[in-house]
Amino acid sequence: MANLAAVVGIGQTSYTTKREDVSIAGLVREAAVNALEDADLTWNDIDAVILGKAPDMFEGVIMPEVYLTDALGCNGKPMIRVHTAGSVGGSTALVAASHVQSGMFKRVLTVSFEKQSESNAMWALSNPQPFSTHLNAGAGGYFAPIIREYLRRSNAPYDAGIKVAVKDRLHGARNPLAHLQKPDITMQEVEESFMLWDPLRYLECCPSSDGACAMVIADEELAKKSPKPPAWIRGVAMRSEPTMYAGRNEVNPQAGRDCAADVYKQAGVSNPRKDFDCAEVYVPFSWYEPMWLENLGFAPEGEGWKLTMEGATSLDENGDIPWNCSGGVLSSNPIGASGMIRFAEVARQVRGDAGEHQVDGAKLALGHAYGGGAQFFAMWVVGSQKS
Amino acid sequence: MSQPEILNQAFELGYTYTRSTGPVVGRFLTGLKNRKLVGIKASDGRVIVPPMEYDPDTAEELSEFVDVGEQGEIVTFAWVKEPREAHPMNEPFAWAMIKLDGADVPMIHCVAAKSESDVTTGARVRAVWADETIGFMTDIRCFELV
Repeated sequence: MANLAAVVGIGQTSYTTKREDVSIAGLVREAAVNALEDADLTWNDIDAVILGKAPDMFEGVIMPEVYLTDALGCNGKPMIRVHTAGSVGGSTALVAASHVQSGMFKRVLTVSFEKQSESNAMWALSNPQPFSTHLNAGAGGYFAPIIREYLRRSNAPYDAGIKVAVKDRLHGARNPLAHLQKPDITMQEVEESFMLWDPLRYLECCPSSDGACAMVIADEELAKKSPKPPAWIRGVAMRSEPTMYAGRNEVNPQAGRDCAADVYKQAGVSNPRKDFDCAEVYVPFSWYEPMWLENLGFAPEGEGWKLTMEGATSLDENGDIPWNCSGGVLSSNPIGASGMIRFAEVARQVRGDAGEHQVDGAKLALGHAYGGGAQFFAMWVVGSQKS
Repeated sequence: MSQPEILNQAFELGYTYTRSTGPVVGRFLTGLKNRKLVGIKASDGRVIVPPMEYDPDTAEELSEFVDVGEQGEIVTFAWVKEPREAHPMNEPFAWAMIKLDGADVPMIHCVAAKSESDVTTGARVRAVWADETIGFMTDIRCFELV
């Protein structure tokens, strides 16, 4: 049995198209300092630093952890860099958590970032590679056919994706850190935005953002002394499956189902829709909300879209299981940080510290990230109570 | 026995990138454009050139800029007898750690010299500026012996 660990500090930058005023080091530093301040700690209180980001080719800074050690106060301390494509923000938080849960360290700082404005995230996602046919798709081009298959299987109404795009932007308008601020967005506006990767319209896709997210994770003893309420880590799980195997179920990946089952078992969750107060789930393209509602067991297979259309996932419609109250990936997407933002935002919820997008009385919440060709899954459950 | 077939393919990858240099590195690069060298004072009082954004010992944010000289002395060096195409000079030269006047930490650059025996630890050198400066490290074309 692992030791108890908790999130005791959370720091984010605001998310925006271009942060021209800071270097990459300055960006990660900002999130890290905010997390230390939130935890009322200094660099000396940190035992180790766990850093994550998406592929190095994005910004073209190869092995950025080498250059970021001084910005993150790693002098004389262990530093580990994590990479699992788009899920990296989540898996980085889990690597950090496991270093505390194992008893290896008492208090670790974990940070993830992306500076998409300096990068080539669209095409560096699908680099041509020697001895291979070039995929040349970009993220949306990869996922669009999978979404098309979901539409065929589920017979979902064509506007369920549009509904998600509106709902998450209305959530984002409550969050001052969110990149897209669209408080007046309408179904019609999304529907009339141009078709980017059929069936995905422009406004059904995530933006490209600069930003960083950081958390301080501490053991039970130190967490109890923390000035603000800790978010207790109640379950952690990662799963992977082979991207290039054409026979896998990409609409409803087995690795996602297994990862959810594992993390629910640890947290004593039997009915996710009922047991959780909210969730932050990696939805970079609108249709991934209904798809993941099914994959994560919030709805029976083929019926995720019904929750979306009923408003069950909407704060503004008083839904019973709000998803992505922060605005989600559809409102801010600094890729390497996006998974960690999901994990941090559910921690904010159970700490009662989520501002205008707080779910009243949130006690238990799910953070989720996926990456690669829906190949890597990372999830945690956090609670206001230890058990 | 047949030979194994080894796959072989020419491969080139190219992207365009941008960079925001921030208040510290940006100031150093702007200094180069104006043919000025600037360092930064660390928490222990040492002057570091090129300047670092965060203290290498304490991780504190650094902000006290210090002008340093365009002359300095060689701390150590490696002589390049046969320059290759990628090297910054066509004639034999030295890579050197150069401690600029007013700095406490050396900076690497190339030193033009007629022969290896002219280059020694403690030898005085001066920056030779490029004809056109653009805010890049190569604005210093090389250092030369004083």
